[in-house]
Amino acid sequence: MSLVARYLERNGIPTVVMGAAKDIVEHAGVPRFLFSDFPLGNSCGKPHEPDTQRFTLDLALKVLESAVGPRTTVQSPLRWAEDGDWKLDFNNLARMNPEEVAKRRAEFDKVKQVARSQREKSGVA
Amino acid sequence: MARAREQGSPCGFDFAMAQPQLWSMADSHLFAPDHDAPIDYMRRTREYYLALGYDNPYRWAHYVDAPFQPLKKKLTDSTLALITTAAPYQPDKGDQGPGAAYNAAAKFYTVFSGDSSVDHDTRISHIGYDRKHATAKDSNTWFPLPLMREFAAEGRFTLAKHFHGAPTNRSQRVTLDTDAPEILARCRQDQVDAALLVPT
Repeated sequence: MSLVARYLERNGIPTVVMGAAKDIVEHAGVPRFLFSDFPLGNSCGKPHEPDTQRFTLDLALKVLESAVGPRTTVQSPLRWAEDGDWKLDFNNLARMNPEEVAKRRAEFDKVKQVARSQREKSGVA
Repeated sequence: MARAREQGSPCGFDFAMAQPQLWSMADSHLFAPDHDAPIDYMRRTREYYLALGYDNPYRWAHYVDAPFQPLKKKLTDSTLALITTAAPYQPDKGDQGPGAAYNAAAKFYTVFSGDSSVDHDTRISHIGYDRKHATAKDSNTWFPLPLMREFAAEGRFTLAKHFHGAPTNRSQRVTLDTDAPEILARCRQDQVDAALLVPT
């Protein structure tokens, strides 16, 4: 998605990215980025909390309007939870036993196969 | 939140003010735990797939610079388009509901567009989102089209006629050579002045 933002921007369309993966978006380098320190899947606010969703979109628009240069990142002041314990879970091997790792490996093998055949079907392999 | 909106600052939130949800973090020698920082997804993902036995790590896009184009007119006079990585729900492609396992079959491989004036059922089961902590039950957390319609009705901007779906396959070459130019062309067709991109 960062590649698309860069492409549009370079071709005259100002962009703002609303996202939750700070390192990935900043590694690519985008013009404007509203970062929410939330679990992936919640770039636009918290589920069933229209107030936080409205706040997040509003802030993204302000970033779009007011950034003075590229690589502008603004971090939303909203917190997902009182503590940051959820951050220790995502794909974190330290929190998985060997059985869990084996299970995930088997699942991933399946996923890769499906993805490969899908790509071949759509001619992008 | 209500309090934040009443402050009357341009974005409805005064960053200079004490932030109510961070009340316990007044500066002192009692620092926040080190892990309570933005997740290092690239490192964690690399280590994760290595442990699964894949030693050909994904290389994330990386540039040292970034383009910049100021808004040409005020946002209130601009046409804004939504670009999403969410996928349209495809009933024949397996479980795409909340809590569904990663579903590669639900991916899409060409840019799609939808009518911004009506609702759409979009899903994220084809993406590696946080399946433990994200509920994936409220599409407004990844697809803000309904809220954008509300903002447009309030006069914040004009909503572009179409929103666009950007494929999330692993080929950055296809993204650069095919998908991005296609999205640009579709935005130009709608005379788009600015774009809001929401990756999941």
